[in-house]
Amino acid sequence: MSTPNSALLPVAHIDEVKAYASSLIRKQGRAAGGVLVLYALAGVAGLAGPRLLGDIVGAVQKGTTRAHVDRIAMILAGFVVAQAIFVRLARYASSVIAEKIFAELREEFLRKVISLPLSTVERAGTGDLLTRMTSDIDAMSRSVRFAVPETMIAVATAVLTLVAAFVTAPLVALPCLVVFPSLFVATRWYLKRAPQGYLRERRVYSHMFAGITETLEGGRTIDALGLRDKRIRRGDDDVRRAYVAERYTLRLRTLWYPSTETAYVVPVVAALLVGGLLANRGHASLAQVTAVTLYFQQLVDPVDRLLGWLDELQVGASSLARLVGVGRVPADRVATGEQPESERLRADSVHFAYRAGRDVLHGIDLDVRPGERIAMVGPSGAGKSTLGRLLAGIHGPGDGSVTVGGVPLVDLEIDQLRREVALVTQEHHVFVGSVADNLRLAKPSADDDQLRSVLSSIDALDWVIALPDGLDTMVGSGGLILTPAQAQQIALARLVLADPHTLVLDEATSLLDPRAARRLERSLAAVVEGRTVIAIAHRLHTAHDADRVAVMVGGRIVELGSHDELIAKGGSYADLWASWHGEGPHVSDPLISDSLTSGRAVSPSGQHWTPSDSLSHTD
Amino acid sequence: MRVLPLTDPGVPDVRSPLRFLLWVVKGQRATLTGGMVFGIIWMCGQATVPFVVGRGIDEGITGHSTSALVTWSGALLGLGIVQAAAGVSRHRFAVAAWMTGTFRVEQLLTRQAALLGASLTQRVQLGDVVSSATTDAGYIGNCLDITARLAGSIVSFIAVAIIMLSTSVELGLVVLIGVPALMLLIGPLLRPLHHRQTELRASVGKLTNFGADTVAGLRVLRGVGGEREFFTRYQARSQDVRRKGVAVAAVGSVLDAAEVLLPGVFVVLVTWLGARLAIQHKLTVGQLVSFYGYAAFLLAPMRIATEVADKWTRGLVAAKRILRVLSLQPLLAQPPHPVAVPRDADLTDTTSGLTVRSGEFVVVAAAEPSQASALADRLGRYIDPDGDEQVFFGDVPLTALALDDVRATILISDKDPRLFAGTLRDQLDPHRRASASDVDDAIDAAVAHDALESVPGGLDGVLDERALGLSGGQRQRIALARALLVDAPVLVLDEPTSAVDAYTEARIADTLRAHRAGKTTIVMSTSPLMLDRADRAVLLDDNRVVADGLHRELVSHDARYRSVVTRDEESA
Repeated sequence: MSTPNSALLPVAHIDEVKAYASSLIRKQGRAAGGVLVLYALAGVAGLAGPRLLGDIVGAVQKGTTRAHVDRIAMILAGFVVAQAIFVRLARYASSVIAEKIFAELREEFLRKVISLPLSTVERAGTGDLLTRMTSDIDAMSRSVRFAVPETMIAVATAVLTLVAAFVTAPLVALPCLVVFPSLFVATRWYLKRAPQGYLRERRVYSHMFAGITETLEGGRTIDALGLRDKRIRRGDDDVRRAYVAERYTLRLRTLWYPSTETAYVVPVVAALLVGGLLANRGHASLAQVTAVTLYFQQLVDPVDRLLGWLDELQVGASSLARLVGVGRVPADRVATGEQPESERLRADSVHFAYRAGRDVLHGIDLDVRPGERIAMVGPSGAGKSTLGRLLAGIHGPGDGSVTVGGVPLVDLEIDQLRREVALVTQEHHVFVGSVADNLRLAKPSADDDQLRSVLSSIDALDWVIALPDGLDTMVGSGGLILTPAQAQQIALARLVLADPHTLVLDEATSLLDPRAARRLERSLAAVVEGRTVIAIAHRLHTAHDADRVAVMVGGRIVELGSHDELIAKGGSYADLWASWHGEGPHVSDPLISDSLTSGRAVSPSGQHWTPSDSLSHTD
Repeated sequence: MRVLPLTDPGVPDVRSPLRFLLWVVKGQRATLTGGMVFGIIWMCGQATVPFVVGRGIDEGITGHSTSALVTWSGALLGLGIVQAAAGVSRHRFAVAAWMTGTFRVEQLLTRQAALLGASLTQRVQLGDVVSSATTDAGYIGNCLDITARLAGSIVSFIAVAIIMLSTSVELGLVVLIGVPALMLLIGPLLRPLHHRQTELRASVGKLTNFGADTVAGLRVLRGVGGEREFFTRYQARSQDVRRKGVAVAAVGSVLDAAEVLLPGVFVVLVTWLGARLAIQHKLTVGQLVSFYGYAAFLLAPMRIATEVADKWTRGLVAAKRILRVLSLQPLLAQPPHPVAVPRDADLTDTTSGLTVRSGEFVVVAAAEPSQASALADRLGRYIDPDGDEQVFFGDVPLTALALDDVRATILISDKDPRLFAGTLRDQLDPHRRASASDVDDAIDAAVAHDALESVPGGLDGVLDERALGLSGGQRQRIALARALLVDAPVLVLDEPTSAVDAYTEARIADTLRAHRAGKTTIVMSTSPLMLDRADRAVLLDDNRVVADGLHRELVSHDARYRSVVTRDEESA
């Protein structure tokens, strides 16, 4: 059934992101301050070079001794060693903090992900969440590991260098300030555009890689339908888009780089020219001019780094906004603490819409007796799976109520809900981990003996024991790949462990081949033993075996009764049953053909659409 | 700048990784040359800055000449502007080289994947090809992009060495020996760093996979529980990544310190030697300042040389992986002189003994579904039959027909037909050959209206990658409608309704038959609803046709047939 994919996850506002980021850093407290001090010390030690060279130059000009030069060289070497030591300490200490912050960030994100409301998980699809889990965390790692510390170092170094230049000779240093306005304007222009440009590049590349993956996975279909040229065109289109996206950011850099590079040289020129003029008039010494000139040359490196990391920081901030945003999904239920009086599941005049105004269910009443087996049949799009989700408490009804023992399902704690009713779908995800890990999800306290007895009860123990490491065999992506039937059995074993009294089975065995399906049906029979079951059935023998059959069409239950009652009634179910047995008339219930054509009774050719009319049977 | 994509990425030299790299280089000599020229101007410009500053000090300040001061300051400004212009030009050429190299490889990989189709992933791991496309292609680009800076580094290094040698043999030798020596000293530090980085990457990869796995199974997890358990396991992995990250920093910070210490000592050494020469008046103070500048500048070529070594090594490894894909040849042999395709011919598979007459609607029920799939593969020549067995179309074996003709004549829709991202119309009619009413008829026949309606925008609505927004049953019916629209003379459908409910399946069985009237259709299915509509129902067991007739007769007379199609749930 379709689940509208429109419900995208929220993205946090920039203020929220800032507050979150600073709280992360503040939590590190004194350690973060210590790192800043170490970086500052390294920066200060790095300032000795130009100053001491200036001293040497001044000394040489005035005439000096070898010993003096040797001594200054020794001091310079000392500062180099000190700088190296401080760099080592600072880098290490800041990495320790960065790794800690980053670990906390991603762990908190995962915590938010695994506590997303059930209805959001069902509807949002995994694509967006997967991107956040992989690409955004990756982008964050660049920010936390490199961009943030590098920016901090660069700012500290640049400020210290400027201060050193001004302390050495304020008059010589002063003219350099002329470049700041232009540097600021050019960089602001660039930063307004660059992050969007780089994000677009990322999108384009992920589209390109998705296209190549599709081409690889769909090789067979491409062969069959002659889509070779089309796939090549898609690849070339992706390259074109990547080219355009790269050209855009290249253009931004082409305009921005020269302005910054020129801005870097201006202070050096100014220091030399103005400093020289001042020196020639006796207002400055050669040593000062030399030192300041060299300081400005040295300033290029931190400023360049700073500017280089700014766009990465912005990209990191937008990733962080998406990570923090996951926490903003509002809870879809509040447990009232009310306790069910019985195990009786009821739906009373239930209406439901995924999109406002488009009801999928139009007033469903269903009273499920404990221990009963109900089969739901009906054409695609009739709302069977939607009803199944409501009966399992995943969505709350828009109108009406779904209750167990008198308590609405959405008023229960999620742990309690799981003990009442469970939804079993075609989706049989095997998690990375051991077989035992996969089973214990449903009951962390279960020991190996209990796991074995559960597996044995669903006829799955033999193959599990035959695995290389038995229960401890690693399965899932990267480990042993289980067959769909085995994966489904694992899912069933989890159910037995979770032990809900009611099961909603949605097309559980339909995609399997008959032999595997037969075995699985035996497993399923063991699971449903003693439980209430609502089965959304693809295959009619499931319906035949049920206590009651509910025929759903167009969001309503149109027939409800035992198999025999419905056969006797001679409605659409009876027709289908007959057809399945190769006996009677084919399905021609106008109600159903209407719903299949979605209210469109006239085909484009203008004829009334009754497909069974056109049948010419050979017999 | 060359406009990309290239209309034809060309035929690569796949004999060896090096030859492949050279082939890529050969394709863009002009871009690379341009990058190198500007790279040289840019770096020589940087190397000249200390010279100009030194002259400014000597002539302008020590020599007390305002005009010299203005001249040399002007020269410095001019140099800065030239350097900025050369720098950005170099960057543009380098990016062009990167794009041309990278995108060309992407184009080659896409073409190879599209050409080999199903036979590619039979021979190489899907993940390997994907990583070739996502990372290796970029590594090839990196090899090209760095050449501009490499050329600049070499030339500027030689220029500086000559300047210093001509001033002082001693200083010149310090530079000529010192710079390579520094590279050699840093080298050993890189190995443990790379080692720990590799460990970190592996650990991060595990964590990312665990996270992705959690998201992929989130419905299950939220359904049956185990969130706390998952959080604990994620946290354990996350903390492992943190420890590995710190371990990288333990080595990395030493390297950072060495990158301060070694060049710093080098600068001190040059300055010290220079100052001693200056005292003896063998060097002016301006020259001393220049030498300090040269020594500081020389770190850049040194860093670039290290980067080149790294990028070229990675590039060669990447080229090797790329060649594993590019050097593959198609699996199925093409006849040298293909025969024309017969019209309205019968299709015969000698392996199973199945013959389907032209225009027939046959449903094959197999006790073992994989045997039905193998039969479909033989009928469409995705595999060739074993030994002397053949598949004949009329009296011509499929191996005598051109493969493209076979594909155009016999359409096999396999068990897992793929949908691609794009509009729904594009899925249904990728070649844009069908009229609007054809499309409607096919959707009618596949009973796929609900799928159409669930896509906002209908036929013009866009499906996401692999159409994951649709349910399994909807995807299956869209794929069926697509197969019907091709209107191939022979259509083989492998379990086309496995994910569809009984009601819809019954409709499809009716409409399918009508839609294919007059054309050959073979359906692999064990569903009584489908078998009942067949001209002939066929039972396949142990790869042979063991029963053949009308469904109603077989179901009442053939116990084996009955057990396969009714799943034993009733006794005869």
